[in-house]
Amino acid sequence: MNMHKDNMTNEKNINLMDGNASSNLVVEEQIARNIVELLSDRAQRISSAEEQRLLAARNLAVNRLVDLQAQAISEHGINQSGHVLGWFGRHAGQYFEQHRVMSATLVVGAMLLTFFAVQQFGFNNNLENSDAFLLASDLPPEAYADKGFDAWLDTN
Amino acid sequence: MATPKELSDFLAAVERRAFKQTAYAVRDDHAALDIVQDAMMKLAEKYGDHPAGEFPMLFQRILQNTMRDFWRRQKVRNLWTTLLSSFGGNDADGEDRDPLETIDVEDDSDEPSAQLARSQTIRLIERALEKLPARQREAFVLRYWEEMDVAETAKIMGCSDGSVKTHCSRAVHALAIELKKQGLDKLGLSSAIFSK
Repeated sequence: MNMHKDNMTNEKNINLMDGNASSNLVVEEQIARNIVELLSDRAQRISSAEEQRLLAARNLAVNRLVDLQAQAISEHGINQSGHVLGWFGRHAGQYFEQHRVMSATLVVGAMLLTFFAVQQFGFNNNLENSDAFLLASDLPPEAYADKGFDAWLDTN
Repeated sequence: MATPKELSDFLAAVERRAFKQTAYAVRDDHAALDIVQDAMMKLAEKYGDHPAGEFPMLFQRILQNTMRDFWRRQKVRNLWTTLLSSFGGNDADGEDRDPLETIDVEDDSDEPSAQLARSQTIRLIERALEKLPARQREAFVLRYWEEMDVAETAKIMGCSDGSVKTHCSRAVHALAIELKKQGLDKLGLSSAIFSK
């Protein structure tokens, strides 16, 4: 009988405690809501300098996202057709396939042009060297032009 | 993937609250603006490919982490400053330092005497919020100001649901006591809690 009474009392206490706890929670929530309402009101009234700074920060972040998304799209396009070198090789290959004769003519022409240029430069160089040799020699240039000079040199 | 417009709209909606929350935490408006900008950039760079619905939680987590980084840097800087000042002696500094500069005066000069009671109430609340321990303030702001549920708040704070409830409850009680000290119970903020 006594045990039953004790249990009843405990249950009553627990119910009271639960009631107090829930009412405390409600009061806490209410206070928090009141405080937050005032804080939100305050947050809306910031200085124009702070407002400008926040706007600039927001624009920076949005621009960054735009850049990243554009970069991602271009990377995706390249990845679809293989890597960059593959893309270049494929396009260059297509060009040579379609313009085979033109390409061969261009390559041969470039080789011939290079050959003649080298030849021309080499001939001029030799000519300049021989003129310089004659002018700087101990003997006068007439000595090399005279056919009888060699014969005279042999006899002496 | 979120569009730039969605990101812009989201940031426009939260930036003022984020700035004030950070300012209460770091007590420096310029540092608070830097922290908010860092958080915005990190959100765009690292989570721009996430859906816009995930932005509130991600942004709050980034903001809280950026604040923690700020505190860490401040701690290291303060340590070095203390070490260097103690190493260099304080004779020369002592002459230059004006003790009046270090006193925490109440800056009411920008508030006109005829300002509404509401503005004064807000200022008192801001000061009370600044005095809260960091974890209690974080829980209060996330749970009530950002209107996140207990589980979301716990996830951002990296603690259990029970800890969030405890931090929130303590924060509200501490605020109530602090505001009562300031005579704010007479302003009808909440007579119920003050009468307890």
